[in-house]
Amino acid sequence: MTVAPRAPERNARAQPDAGPALARWEAVAARYPFADRDAVGPVSLALRRGERALLLGPSGCGKSTLLRALTGLSPAGADPALTGRTTLFGRDARARPAACWADTVAFLFQDAEETLCGFTVEDEIAFAPENRALPPARVAALTAGAMARVGLPEAWRRRRVATLSGGEKQLVALAALLAQDAPVAIADEPTANLAPKAAARMSALLLGPDGPAATLVVDHRIGSAVERIDRAVALGPDGRATAEGSPRAVFADAGERLEALGVWTPLASCLHRALGRAGLVLPPPLKVNEILRAVDGLAPAGRARARRVAAGFAPEPPHAARKPAMARLDRVDCAPPFGPVVLRGVTLEIRPGEALGVLGPNGAGKSTLAACLAGLAPLRAGRRHGPPGAVAFQNPEVHFIGGTAREQLLLSGAPAAGVDAALAAWGLADVADRHPFALSQGQKRRLALASITATDRWPLVVLDEPTAGLDARGAAAIGAQVARLAGEGRALAVVTHDMDFALAVCARTIVVTEGGVLAEGPTAALLRDRALLARAGLAAPEAGPLLDWLERR
Amino acid sequence: MLGRVHPLPKLVFCLLWIAASLAIFDLRFQIGSLALAAGLLVTTERVRPATVLALAVPFALFGFGFLSTSLLFDRETGFAVQMAREQALARPDAAPGLVLFFRALACGMVSALFALTTDAGALVRALMAQARLPASIGYALLQAMHLVPDVAREAQAMRMARAMRRGRAPGRIPTPWEVGALAVPLLAYAIRRAGRAATAMEARGFRPGAPRTFLRAPPPARGDWAFCAGALGLLAAAAAACAMR
Repeated sequence: MTVAPRAPERNARAQPDAGPALARWEAVAARYPFADRDAVGPVSLALRRGERALLLGPSGCGKSTLLRALTGLSPAGADPALTGRTTLFGRDARARPAACWADTVAFLFQDAEETLCGFTVEDEIAFAPENRALPPARVAALTAGAMARVGLPEAWRRRRVATLSGGEKQLVALAALLAQDAPVAIADEPTANLAPKAAARMSALLLGPDGPAATLVVDHRIGSAVERIDRAVALGPDGRATAEGSPRAVFADAGERLEALGVWTPLASCLHRALGRAGLVLPPPLKVNEILRAVDGLAPAGRARARRVAAGFAPEPPHAARKPAMARLDRVDCAPPFGPVVLRGVTLEIRPGEALGVLGPNGAGKSTLAACLAGLAPLRAGRRHGPPGAVAFQNPEVHFIGGTAREQLLLSGAPAAGVDAALAAWGLADVADRHPFALSQGQKRRLALASITATDRWPLVVLDEPTAGLDARGAAAIGAQVARLAGEGRALAVVTHDMDFALAVCARTIVVTEGGVLAEGPTAALLRDRALLARAGLAAPEAGPLLDWLERR
Repeated sequence: MLGRVHPLPKLVFCLLWIAASLAIFDLRFQIGSLALAAGLLVTTERVRPATVLALAVPFALFGFGFLSTSLLFDRETGFAVQMAREQALARPDAAPGLVLFFRALACGMVSALFALTTDAGALVRALMAQARLPASIGYALLQAMHLVPDVAREAQAMRMARAMRRGRAPGRIPTPWEVGALAVPLLAYAIRRAGRAATAMEARGFRPGAPRTFLRAPPPARGDWAFCAGALGLLAAAAAACAMR
């Protein structure tokens, strides 16, 4: 096989300047009080004008700490000791208080609900320009411009932020970032809680040609937006840079290592590595279509070999045997407590051994449906049949009642003899004696799920956004546990925005939108129905083109 | 209608109205105030009468002790008698307990009239922009307003998680035991959330004491002051009529 030259980066923007860095981290390390090692670093990194950079790394490697160190922001009450130096436009960042750098650096935090400061949408977007004491006309222009760019309707101006859904709040937070008009944007997992369509809009605005002068994004699963990235930097579990370069080069040269560290790499890159191991050396791709085109150019024998390798990447979730339904909703109307009805006339059943995907745009009522399916929320109309179920809520902290992870399982009803085995099965043996609130987000999620599944009290388990904010290893671990629980005969419903996760673990899926269940069927069929995806504000999974290709072959 | 009046003149007027209710110990004035405030809510603000009655309940409970003593036992509490004796504009021919009861209702209804016709965010912004309320206090108030629905949502999720362990759906209204059990986790949540919000505000350039602009906090217009002056004139006339008996 011949080694083809690398494809040029598919980025329509002008390439980044070779000039001085707008933002620079020079051997920056941070250590939290009472910690025996640095949370991150030492790391050196520069962000140049026109550059779109991606910071990758496993959960807990200190990415957020590194971002905040740029202007000296630190979590209240937990100031880390910083070594090294950060500069902005060549000036030492410590020369000004963190708040003064708001004219230079705009931050977009992971959880918009915890970062909004205004009362109405307009207040929120105008907050940063108001803080800079800009003339009112300029503040008004920045606010109107940001609303238009994000596509927020004018009617939202006076809408109270508290009445928005989580995804809508994230879009308002994006508009606020754009209105801040800072040349450098730092986004910490901006799409973690967004439905695919909203996530694509956010990526386009942050990483597109009309975005800020320089952008640094942390994202565990950036998806197709990786094409907009000029440079990727990967941190290892010790918080030090382990790979750096163009995304194509980083995923090609260090993909194996990143995968071993639990860091997300594009499906195309995974497939490229697998084909390489099978003796098929192809140009490093970023998109599945790219590598499939390259495979199509191979000789017939090579294509056949490639097909066998690619078939291993086609998700095949286990199908549940045709058994009587474990739980059934019969023409139910669902509403959150004290809220209006959001879903009407839902008829749905879930069988033992089945993992049912629940997809839909932000604010469609998926979490409300989850609570109704588990029997935890009263129905406004219709009937529910079946045993009570458990819900693994989006915020895992609401489950915690124990002082340690071990105690949490005991208080949840797990038999004492089985606690260690359950902790080990969920990868929590090392943190058995730590307080649940001191765990990483991925560990918290796994502990919440372990406390629900460590007993056989709940034959029906609903997982609400189980992979949000998790790295690739965390998401894979949750996927494996879902398969295991389904294999034990439990019924699982998985509410998710991650199309590839749904495709990998759920044989059957429902699409919730427009006040009801819009579609129901095999996940692979629904997620390749472009008209349905467009109508529901969803996007095709990364594996979609691969499934199409395999079918054509 | 009242929703369009600038919050600050309206606040001044409502505070003076409450002050007049406290100063004028006259049953007619208290009943008139109550009727006017409730009437404005029902007629101009389209608030359902049942809602107005529900709003009056806590204030009625506050004054109910005076009322029951006065009506059921035909006696007056020492406090009521002392109040009637000490007030400058008092009418001795009305039962003091009855006056106190209606005074509590009138003050409550005037407060409700202000609360239901005023955008809380606009009020805080107006206080910051025109009444020199420090921005650190103003935005702390706005954050507190954000926190209330978020804490309620978090509490609901915690109640569901706990109900799940008990094997039954949570009740509509939490029991006192539940409230007690949730207090500490919710306090911890509120503290964590407030810390993150403070970091976010700092990241967006908020500095206590620094100069700032306000996009949507116009000063009161002439019409607002005219409304305030007219309403105060009516209030003064009513007070004068009561004083002349």
